[in-house]
Amino acid sequence: MKNVLTVATNTFREAVRDRVLYNLVFFALLMMGAAILVGQISIGIEASVIVSLGLTAISVVGLFIAIFIGVGLVSKEMDKRTLYALLAKPVKRWEFLLGKFFGLVMTLTVNTAAMAAGLYLALWTVKHSFEKSDVYILAAVYLILLKLALIVGLALLFSCFTTPFLAILFSAGIYVAGVFAQNLRTMTVVDLNASTMKMLRGISYLLPNFENFNVMGTVAHGGVVPGALILNATLYALVYCAVVLTGAAAIFSRRNLK
Amino acid sequence: MKKELLAGISVAATVLLGLAAAWHLQERLDVQRKAIHEERDEMLVQSPKLIKALSLEYAPLLGAVYWTRAVQYYGEKHHERDMKLQLLWPLLDAATTLDPKLLVAYRFGSTFLSDAPPRGAGRPDLAVKLLERGLKEYPDEWHLYQDLGNVYYFDAKDYPKAAAAFAEGSKNPHAMIWMKVMAAKIAADGETPETSYALWMEVLNSTKDPDIKKNAELHLRLLKTDLDIREIDRLANEYEKKTGHRATRMSELVQAGLLRGQPLDSAGYPYVLGEGGKAELNLNSPLLEEKLLNKK
Repeated sequence: MKNVLTVATNTFREAVRDRVLYNLVFFALLMMGAAILVGQISIGIEASVIVSLGLTAISVVGLFIAIFIGVGLVSKEMDKRTLYALLAKPVKRWEFLLGKFFGLVMTLTVNTAAMAAGLYLALWTVKHSFEKSDVYILAAVYLILLKLALIVGLALLFSCFTTPFLAILFSAGIYVAGVFAQNLRTMTVVDLNASTMKMLRGISYLLPNFENFNVMGTVAHGGVVPGALILNATLYALVYCAVVLTGAAAIFSRRNLK
Repeated sequence: MKKELLAGISVAATVLLGLAAAWHLQERLDVQRKAIHEERDEMLVQSPKLIKALSLEYAPLLGAVYWTRAVQYYGEKHHERDMKLQLLWPLLDAATTLDPKLLVAYRFGSTFLSDAPPRGAGRPDLAVKLLERGLKEYPDEWHLYQDLGNVYYFDAKDYPKAAAAFAEGSKNPHAMIWMKVMAAKIAADGETPETSYALWMEVLNSTKDPDIKKNAELHLRLLKTDLDIREIDRLANEYEKKTGHRATRMSELVQAGLLRGQPLDSAGYPYVLGEGGKAELNLNSPLLEEKLLNKK
């Protein structure tokens, strides 16, 4: 476990050194601009648009970091040949992988927390007060973080057996498919036979369902996010991450690094 | 060192000059483009369902964007006094499909759609469709029933449906008591200036939006004019009964003690007695134009 922590801490430091957190400046500018502009160009949605925009920015920026940095976690170490020096030490391959995963999740957590603080600040600027329901913005941010952790896991998995370019494509593809996972289950197609429908239904359950982590619309309109939903989404993310990371570790352990 | 400084200054000067030139060119291009401007109301993707699918999980933000676009579109057309507004429904349709919880789009959107031109699109049918969609999302939001009642009453002139909407909304324990009163009044009398006045007063009191407030105030002023004219006509009839002839000037009613002074409209212009001794708005009153537009 100590090895995992060491790799994670170093991954976080590397991300900070690589100026990954610079995106926060972009976020701050976006929120400031929105807080000033939105009230002047629209009617009655000042607060909800700040929440929607803030959560969307947190999600999109996080998504880019999770996919692009996530894919590079392993491949960069291989390209720079630092991986070989590391694996020569008493560090198991799965420990390296897990450390990389937690390191990036740590980076995303810091990034997301700073953005959430910015979002609350912008909301305060617009409303000059907070309501009880605003606490659920934190729930939405937490669920976004879970989604991002899952995407980091997927990016790691793909980067273990393919080129970075393809890993990015696969990760983005799985993300898009995962957003529509629910639709696969509920869509009504006349031409498909029962077995195909069953297969689609099966695929919809196997794909990571990213809609589980999406409460942006509810939160933007002051809605309540039930605790049971947060709990089950957390369990879902934990289980799915465990599956994906186990797969990634299995592939990476067998990979010929010569 | 001096050479470097000179190079720096020349680069900065070139950039500044370049930007100034681009600015100047843009101004010229704006004028030229305005000359060849064609009316181009368009929405690239007309299917709200497709827009929703393309927006992935970010539909609520896109919904807000479409709502803002609808507000801007309405404002721009209103400013130009062009009330064709063909794009208003597609924009509202997209906004509420992307974010079905966008309450504000149902409430204000229905006003934009239902109001008669030049203040709105004159499409109460679409306003009803929008509000019914809103009621599916917010069955407990009695204000939507108020809006539905207003659309049926003012624009569709369907008084039984207006009364039914107010009655349905009044069942909500949070609804204001006047909803029940309106339901009964409209069911019994249909459209009367007093009922219209009360309804617009509620619109005025229940909104914070300056445009909606302005619109409600204008309607209230016009209704006040109707009520004033009706009262002056009643007094003129009384005068005719007493004297045997119809008054041709307002001063006759004042001299007879029926009026305390020259009655003024809400814009401060005196009412006049027109053809046949009927009360009318002063030709100089700005309310006259609004009244004519409203009738149109």
